[in-house]
Amino acid sequence: MADDGSASNRRDPIKSSVGNVAGQRRRQQAVTVAKERRESLVRAKRLCRVGTNGGDDEDARVENEMMIDEEQPVLEAQTVKAVEELKSAVQSQGKGAMQKRVTALRELRRLLSKSEFPPIDAALTAGAIPLLVQCLSFGSPDEQLLESAWCLTNIAAGKPEETKALLPALPLLIAHLGEKNSAPVAEQCAWAIGNVAGEGEELRNVLLSQGALPPLARMIFPDKGSTVRTAAWALSNLIKGPESKAAAQLVRVDGIVDAILRHLKKTDEEIATEIAWIVVYLSALSDIATSMLLKGGILQLLVERLATSDSLQLLIPVLRSLGNFVSVDPKAMLTILIGGQNTEENAINVLGKCLRSEHRVLKKEAAWVLSNIAAGSIEHKRVIHSSEAMPLLLRLLSTSPFDIKKEVAYVLGNLCVESAEGDARPRIIQEHLVSIVSGGCLRGFIDLVRSPDIEAARLGLQFIELVLRGMPNGEGPKLVEGEDGIDAMERFQFHENEELRVMANSLVDKYFGEDYGINE
Amino acid sequence: MAMEITQFLLAAQSADARVRTEAEGSLKQFQEQNLPQFLLSLSFELANNEKPSESRRLAGILLKNSLDAKDSGRKELLVKQWCAIDLALKSQIKELLLRTIGSSVPEARHTSAQVIAKVASIEVPQKQWPELVGSLLSNMTQQESPAHLKQSTLETLGYVCEEISHHDLVQDEVNSVLTAVVQGMNQAANNAEVRLAATKALLNALDFSQTNFENEMERSYIMKMVCETACAKEPVIRQAAFECLVSIASTYYEVLEQYMQTLFELTAKAVKEDEESVALQAVEFWSTICDEEIDRQEYDSPDTGDSSPPHSGFIEKALPHLVPMLLETLEKQEEDQDHEDDVWNISMAGGTCLGLVARTVGDGIVPLVMPFVEINIRKPNWRSREAATYAFGSILEGPTIDKLAPMVAAGLEFLLTATKDENNHVRDTTAWTLSRIFEFLHTPDSGFSVISPQNLPRIVGVLLESMKDVPNVAEKVCGAIYNLAQGYEDAGASSSLLSPYLTEIIQHLLAAAERTDGPESKLRSASYETLNEVVRCSNLLEASGIIGQLLPVIMVKLGQTMDLQVVSTEDREKQAELQASLCGVLQVIIQKLSSKDETKPIVMQNADQIMMLFLRVFGCHSSSVHEEAMLAIGALAYATGAEFAKYMPELFKYLQTGLQNFEEYQVCSITVGVIGDICRALDDKILPFCDQIMSLLIQNLQSDALHRSVKPPIFSCFGDIALAIGGHFERYVATALQIMQGAAQVCAQMDTLDEELMDYGNQLRRSIFEAYSGILQGFKDAKAELMVPYAQHLLQFVELVSKDSLRDESVTKAAVAAMGDLADVVGEKIKPLFSNFTFCGEFLNECLDSEDDDLKDTARWTQGMIARLMVT
Repeated sequence: MADDGSASNRRDPIKSSVGNVAGQRRRQQAVTVAKERRESLVRAKRLCRVGTNGGDDEDARVENEMMIDEEQPVLEAQTVKAVEELKSAVQSQGKGAMQKRVTALRELRRLLSKSEFPPIDAALTAGAIPLLVQCLSFGSPDEQLLESAWCLTNIAAGKPEETKALLPALPLLIAHLGEKNSAPVAEQCAWAIGNVAGEGEELRNVLLSQGALPPLARMIFPDKGSTVRTAAWALSNLIKGPESKAAAQLVRVDGIVDAILRHLKKTDEEIATEIAWIVVYLSALSDIATSMLLKGGILQLLVERLATSDSLQLLIPVLRSLGNFVSVDPKAMLTILIGGQNTEENAINVLGKCLRSEHRVLKKEAAWVLSNIAAGSIEHKRVIHSSEAMPLLLRLLSTSPFDIKKEVAYVLGNLCVESAEGDARPRIIQEHLVSIVSGGCLRGFIDLVRSPDIEAARLGLQFIELVLRGMPNGEGPKLVEGEDGIDAMERFQFHENEELRVMANSLVDKYFGEDYGINE
Repeated sequence: MAMEITQFLLAAQSADARVRTEAEGSLKQFQEQNLPQFLLSLSFELANNEKPSESRRLAGILLKNSLDAKDSGRKELLVKQWCAIDLALKSQIKELLLRTIGSSVPEARHTSAQVIAKVASIEVPQKQWPELVGSLLSNMTQQESPAHLKQSTLETLGYVCEEISHHDLVQDEVNSVLTAVVQGMNQAANNAEVRLAATKALLNALDFSQTNFENEMERSYIMKMVCETACAKEPVIRQAAFECLVSIASTYYEVLEQYMQTLFELTAKAVKEDEESVALQAVEFWSTICDEEIDRQEYDSPDTGDSSPPHSGFIEKALPHLVPMLLETLEKQEEDQDHEDDVWNISMAGGTCLGLVARTVGDGIVPLVMPFVEINIRKPNWRSREAATYAFGSILEGPTIDKLAPMVAAGLEFLLTATKDENNHVRDTTAWTLSRIFEFLHTPDSGFSVISPQNLPRIVGVLLESMKDVPNVAEKVCGAIYNLAQGYEDAGASSSLLSPYLTEIIQHLLAAAERTDGPESKLRSASYETLNEVVRCSNLLEASGIIGQLLPVIMVKLGQTMDLQVVSTEDREKQAELQASLCGVLQVIIQKLSSKDETKPIVMQNADQIMMLFLRVFGCHSSSVHEEAMLAIGALAYATGAEFAKYMPELFKYLQTGLQNFEEYQVCSITVGVIGDICRALDDKILPFCDQIMSLLIQNLQSDALHRSVKPPIFSCFGDIALAIGGHFERYVATALQIMQGAAQVCAQMDTLDEELMDYGNQLRRSIFEAYSGILQGFKDAKAELMVPYAQHLLQFVELVSKDSLRDESVTKAAVAAMGDLADVVGEKIKPLFSNFTFCGEFLNECLDSEDDDLKDTARWTQGMIARLMVT
């Protein structure tokens, strides 16, 4: 500005004291921290998903406090000796040293594989890990690598603390996953890593931060072989969450989606099983993976698998993946259901096949998938309603165990109403309601009303409400009365759950009040 | 017709308050009732040589203030008023002003020159004063023009050039102005006043001279004149000429090659023997060349494929002569140099320039400086010792660690001992040099540090001992401890090295903060900021006990500030300053302790009392909200999470006050940020306060009086609120989106040549996208359909941004994310829109090719979201 005393050029001296700048920097930092928090919050929202993986419980570990096996002390002594042998083998140099190492490793591996309760603790106490790590060093012969990875695999299969003892070995195990290694060595390392990854999230994070994922992922690219299967299994352990970053990292590996789709297409059921577990976690944890897989036509492949396989091992992850995809994106399912290739019957019928299966888990998962489909649009409902699965569902409602019954009730209930928006009372699809009621399902729903499970009881009451309100010619109340429905509802008169109490009471008042029966 | 207002103008300067107030009232009334006549009357007064100089001076000031104001809102109003005035009357005023620069009274000429520049700043860009330049130039060309008219005319030209942009003049006009100015510098033809005015005018006209500097003949002529003027007899003229050279160094670096030899000789001579004011500008010339070369080196990073502007390596070439010249300045310290930060003298400037040279050439400077250091650092004369130390400290940034490490390792012990030097200056510079060593040669996390477990005890011992030295030295020692602690940040296990000393360090810092022997509060604030850094960079698990003990100590101190006796405004300021430091410490402690689950409970246990203290701090200052307390409250909200709700009823009024504090806009901005923190802490428990918060935020956005830098944070805050309250944001959505769309429009129309404005534009755009993302994600589960009507606008905005090549990476990221959120949240209903906006694919591909992993991730996610939408 054209004002007096325009200051001549000068700059801040290099020699200044800390106070002012530091204060500014600190305030700036506070603002940055807030910004980072905002970003991580939004990121979390973007990646989070309504139903994460349904917690496939690991089998409860067999508690093994009473060691009655008489051989155990002997085994432990042998193990300590084997570790000693290995130690001297590792130290020895020159001719025959390599052979000596392999022999010692093989003995230790044999001991660690021998019993129901392998002497892992003894091996660890004797100092096996540093020796095994040393045997994994670069440039070691394949046989030596294989045996030490094998020992580590068995140790990793132990109790959590024992698995954790592998920490120093992880970088080398991961290093030997690379393409340059022989297939058996890579596979054995993948196996060990799979065991470690299965232990828990903390170790998974360590593995991820050490870069285990990309080489494992590339191991599933070949078309066949036990290596593919082992790697796929290890990979599924590695990405199982609950954090989603591993799944996100996996989809970023070039070509992974193609490999997954290819394996699902191929006949090998064992590989397909492990791949299907990967799909379960990807579809539960990664939006990007979900959309990429959908785009690759995975639904069709899953449905085909369902149609053609009898392997329970395979069907469970396939069904669960299907359910994940459907719950995220019902529309995608619709393209399969009413897509041009007349696969319409196939998809539902295939689920019907599972409903017919002997296996309770399979039935329940299939009913869950169907209930997700039935929650979709009117078209979804029509397809199910007109399918062969209907009589099956009606039968299951009256005959199956409670947990399956409940899933089935969700399917049937969903079929009778248009998907509700907001608080409005759901619009009834009368055609479906009439046919389902005439199929004899009312009894089953009224049974649910009597169950102590609040959710099931609510489902039952909601269905009764539909019948009372929606059956033509006002025949609802009579039907409900005929199946002892009034009695079932009156049990709620003094129920502790207020919502159900109010719901049941108001239904009784409204439809079976003073005027009921007067016109008879 | 102009009115006679001399009496009022004189009375308005009367010593008698009653008379003064009355006159001011009359003038104000006149101004409000008839602005055109008022301005005309002032111009008459200013132009009339018969009038007393006092009334003319005030007339000039009033005229200037009627045309320009610091506040941008007021300025806009004044411009509008001026433009509305009748053309004939304006011509009359301008005529009078131009006549006044020929007045025999210097002060009237000077004032008039300033007023003309203000009028020019309004009218020249609008082409409403075409005759201005011509009329000024004719003053210069007419033989009979008296010297004082030429002098004022040149002054006016200088001011006018400063006010307008070079786009406002055609090249012919630029040429004539330059010619007139350069001729005015001619020693043979003009007196000293004229030459000084011409040289100062040239400084402002240099920006206009792009074309002239491209032409070698014109350029060499201008350079010759400037160099001649730099040897003028009068020091003020020499200084002005060197100021021109500084400006030329930064604006026309590319064409300096052929003049460098001459320029070096000129500056060397000035540095050596000229008066300090001139020598300072000569040093500044070289500092500016360093700035240019450092800029070019940074720009020239290998990953940007752009062709960088040419780098002539002037510093490299001049190095053998330049360094000795600068070293010589270091020994010209002032005898009783004040140790304030605003001291500026030749030795300070020389050292600062030496530091820049080191950053420019790196290793090359070391062999040129080290002999000087070695010879002088042990001399009996304190000036030599101080200069040697200062030289050493100055070159620690720039050269490689490999080059510096051996020397620093060898010299460290000497420096530690020198903290006991008998001379205050030497100790001051020694402590500062230590702090530079720790700043640049102590980075354990990247693998190098001059500090080892072996020498650490000695270093800490020496530093703590020196904390008791005179205040200026103690302050520099704070800097050393600051950098020492900072080096251990993120250093993993080695951060433990400092843990055993924490208690003692903290004790010493607290003691230094209590000292009263220094000027003002500088040592105190340096001590507290250093304390903050020590806490922030400590190994939390090892230091949690100590920090836990520090917390109540600081709380007590803050409590005591409420009991300080406050009588005067000065007392009030002192109290606020002390509270600021202590709140700053609390903020850092809270942030540190709440970063780990193990230590969070320490904050939680004290939260009620801490909050009460903050509320009392607010209570101390009725007119404004305390900035640092607000910042600390943000940290507390994060630490306490949902429990923070209980403080809201009492806190809320201060949040409101903070949001309404337009004057201290940083306070407003921090309050906006804290509301974001609170949203994240409270989630939907913030709801009861949202109506009022949103109303204030919206008023702030709509206000011209609020500093613009606060507006981007407000949009981001919309996003925070929406994320917290989800579907409840419905009631604000229409208004919020309308303003967001308006702001997006403003961004689209910004002047892309104005760098500062573009920076603001980037912040604004990013924040608008953040608001979109927050609102979309907030509506995800409940009210997604509410966003359907806005989808088109959002995509248009993204498209516009995607086509802007100047956009910042962070804007791109926010834009891509918002687009993904739209696909994710709204889905099906806007599917056709995505098919219409064909730019998406290309834009996403561009982002996927980015070097920035974050951006790539986001783009991939968005691609997935859109793909999912399109597949179904």
